[in-house]
Amino acid sequence: MPGKTKTDTRLALPKGKMLARTSLFLSSIGLGFDNYNSGTRIYRMRSHAMPGLTAKMLNERDIPVQVAVGNYDFGICSSDWLQELLTRYPASRVMKIADLGYDISEIYMACAPSSNIPSRIDRDSAPAWRIVTEYPALAETAAYNMRLKRYRIFPCWGSTEAYPPENADFSVLRVKNEDALRGFNLKPVKRICSSNACIIANSNSLQSNDFSSLLERFASAASQKNKPWLAEEKPTFTVNNNPAVSSRAGNIWLALADGHQQIHTEAFLKKTKLGIKGYSKNDLRRRPSCDIDWLSIKVIRPQDMPQQVANGNFDLAITGRDWLLDHLYQFPSSPVAEMVNLGFGWVRIVAVVSENVPADSIGSLRNLVASGKMVPLRVATEYINIADKYLRDKHIARYRVIPTWGATEVYLPEDADILIENTETGQTLARHKLKIIDTLFESTACLIGNKLSLEDRSKRDKINKLIRVFREAVDKK
Amino acid sequence: MESQRCKGARDLLPDDMERFRQVEDAFRNSCLNWGYREIRTPTLEYIHLFTAAGTLTPSMLGRVYSFLDWDGWGGERVVLRPDGTIPAARLYSENLANQKIARLYYITNVFAFEETGRENREKWQCGVELLGDCDRASDAEVIALALEIAGAMGLTQPELKLSHAGILKALIGELRLDGDSKAALLDDILEGNWQAFAGVKSKNKEVVQAITTLIKLKGKSSGFLANLKAMPAVSKSVKKEIDSFASVTALLDTMQIRYSIDFTSIRGFEYYTGLCFKITSDGERICSGGRYDNLIGLVGGRDIPACGFAFYLDTVTARVKPWSQQKAEKTVSIKAAGGSAAAVKTAFEAAAAMRKVGLIAELDFCGSQLQARWSVSISPRPAAITVVDNYKKTRRKVSTVGDVINVIGGFNKVAR
Repeated sequence: MPGKTKTDTRLALPKGKMLARTSLFLSSIGLGFDNYNSGTRIYRMRSHAMPGLTAKMLNERDIPVQVAVGNYDFGICSSDWLQELLTRYPASRVMKIADLGYDISEIYMACAPSSNIPSRIDRDSAPAWRIVTEYPALAETAAYNMRLKRYRIFPCWGSTEAYPPENADFSVLRVKNEDALRGFNLKPVKRICSSNACIIANSNSLQSNDFSSLLERFASAASQKNKPWLAEEKPTFTVNNNPAVSSRAGNIWLALADGHQQIHTEAFLKKTKLGIKGYSKNDLRRRPSCDIDWLSIKVIRPQDMPQQVANGNFDLAITGRDWLLDHLYQFPSSPVAEMVNLGFGWVRIVAVVSENVPADSIGSLRNLVASGKMVPLRVATEYINIADKYLRDKHIARYRVIPTWGATEVYLPEDADILIENTETGQTLARHKLKIIDTLFESTACLIGNKLSLEDRSKRDKINKLIRVFREAVDKK
Repeated sequence: MESQRCKGARDLLPDDMERFRQVEDAFRNSCLNWGYREIRTPTLEYIHLFTAAGTLTPSMLGRVYSFLDWDGWGGERVVLRPDGTIPAARLYSENLANQKIARLYYITNVFAFEETGRENREKWQCGVELLGDCDRASDAEVIALALEIAGAMGLTQPELKLSHAGILKALIGELRLDGDSKAALLDDILEGNWQAFAGVKSKNKEVVQAITTLIKLKGKSSGFLANLKAMPAVSKSVKKEIDSFASVTALLDTMQIRYSIDFTSIRGFEYYTGLCFKITSDGERICSGGRYDNLIGLVGGRDIPACGFAFYLDTVTARVKPWSQQKAEKTVSIKAAGGSAAAVKTAFEAAAAMRKVGLIAELDFCGSQLQARWSVSISPRPAAITVVDNYKKTRRKVSTVGDVINVIGGFNKVAR
């Protein structure tokens, strides 16, 4: 395994909302890492207490996969992601060794309170139930077990509470408890499983190495009187999932981005004079309102927009060209197209390797791979379809795409050989001692739309009007 | 060398293919003789065909190869065909539903994930579907056909075991469990976990007792079913199913077809509604089938009675002897001595003439050792042909191709 010596024990630690409590837990058992805090820019850490113990910070969703493939001996993550992986790939070489008791939550299949879905499941055989979820494998199993005759699962990056009832029948999502589900204006259909922070291990590593001193430290947590990592959790910020209002047939559905694209999109929309309310940082709602009565707006993840526009849930959306292309590479005959280049949010999509790789172009990297070095080439990326097409077109034989959920730069050089990543200034890449060997394309925010919606006479004029409004706003600078 | 083959995939070598074709031919000949006609369904089907209640079990659905097609933005996935009967039922309901009776057969590959990769993930089945006929005689027909095929395939000691999905489902219904527990119990049974009955929490203790008895006993004749029917706690609905079962076994008794009744002998019977059977050879399951009167309705057609079976070719081919020995008897290896243009030309002509009389003529320009009874060497100067019988170690010199055929024909009538 690259970068791993016999004496190293590798630990994958979560970024994001689990970080603070995981850090408290590790400190309490004497395993604190100096740089394991939310402000850190250092993702690789070495333990003072246990020589040979190293750790890296990853997106928690990636941790079970990374432990399963053997890049890490242990990991701390939320058990729902482990369960999702084992449901999809039961033979994965990863197992849970202890529950940690914080970050407790439940996975529910839920619908809008107004829906009478549960009573219709046995009766209606005709509809294809639409299920949105970050847990496609768990959702699929639930659908099998409920014997849903026909269903469509839309794997999402997040914000799935926003979809029912207008844009999906069910959401399979994680919430703290049933009250929190009701706080999202949803009602439970089926409780799928519960989840909490847990320690996981690679089963091959466990079988062939002696980790007893580390495992004893983990076990010592149980006997501690004071368990600060279990203290009452503060409610986390969630976007107001305001209830659905009835929307008329012929209304135009527009999707707007949450997350870090929200501020830029909001600034742009101010120029359009559409009078959008409920789409500012201080008042962010899943269903903002606006001055046009035939326009319905919803706030979802930009990554999910192309497919949601393709399947007709939305007519228009503001997202990045990168996500549009990733969708089009997966579905070349999709009816989604770029309608207006909005110009903001410029990034370039690049191929990146570690500084010490003796290749300065994709051609020289291909020669390296062809000569038997770095085979298979491990490609870490959020853009699975872009990366797949790029490497295929460049005749790289052979490669393996490792899907990630962000923080991709941390993967090089130990856990991947090349990244397909977006960058604005290149500074983050340089800080991690990485170099760009190719630029695939440039991406900016754009208005995307469903070409079939333009063929609908009840929608065509309205969509064209919005396109004009957006073009004028772009010209205003 | 590191294998480049996908995990769980299998190469079929010439010996394997010979056995495969041998079994396939036996199957096809019997089917044609009984009036069945061949169909072929696509490798890709929509997943919803298999997710409807009563089609595939959740455990089988958890192992299908499914993905979004290139135009799958609508979210509906396609699968590599995991089963032969359900696509055949779809084909019938879309194309042949106006026929009163359809007798169909197919030879197809099916795909299911297998964890270790040591078992095949792509398997072959040959199956028969008799659609549109609800008479007990059609159950007997498919059983008799399956037994004939097993014999024609050269399988030793085929044994017929019968069960009845209708009786089991009616008994499970009598337990009056809530929806989730009933579904969970049915899933367990479908997976072959008959112990699951032991853990059933039902107020209807007598039914639990009846089921336990049913599972323990193995019957050999219709009398066994009459005994079951007379047992306490057997309700009207269960009696009706036993009658349906007994009507078929009575017919099999008359036809002197030997069978045993073993309720635990079936697995994965999600779409079966009545009689189910399996055939084993030396204890190994080689064929299973049964009646599935609701399936056509589930895949979008009218409710049409239907029954059928499938042979598992991977298991069957492993148990039959190949034809290679017979083939070598008929094979002639032709060498052109010196490799001159004239000798090569004569070699091609000789080969063509031999093929015409039913011999397998294989040209050998590299001096490789072929598995052939006969070797023929053609030498241009002096013009001569040597015929060697590799079995009898004899050698003869002749001057024309006609002479060669006479010699081989003289030694062996196979050529004619």
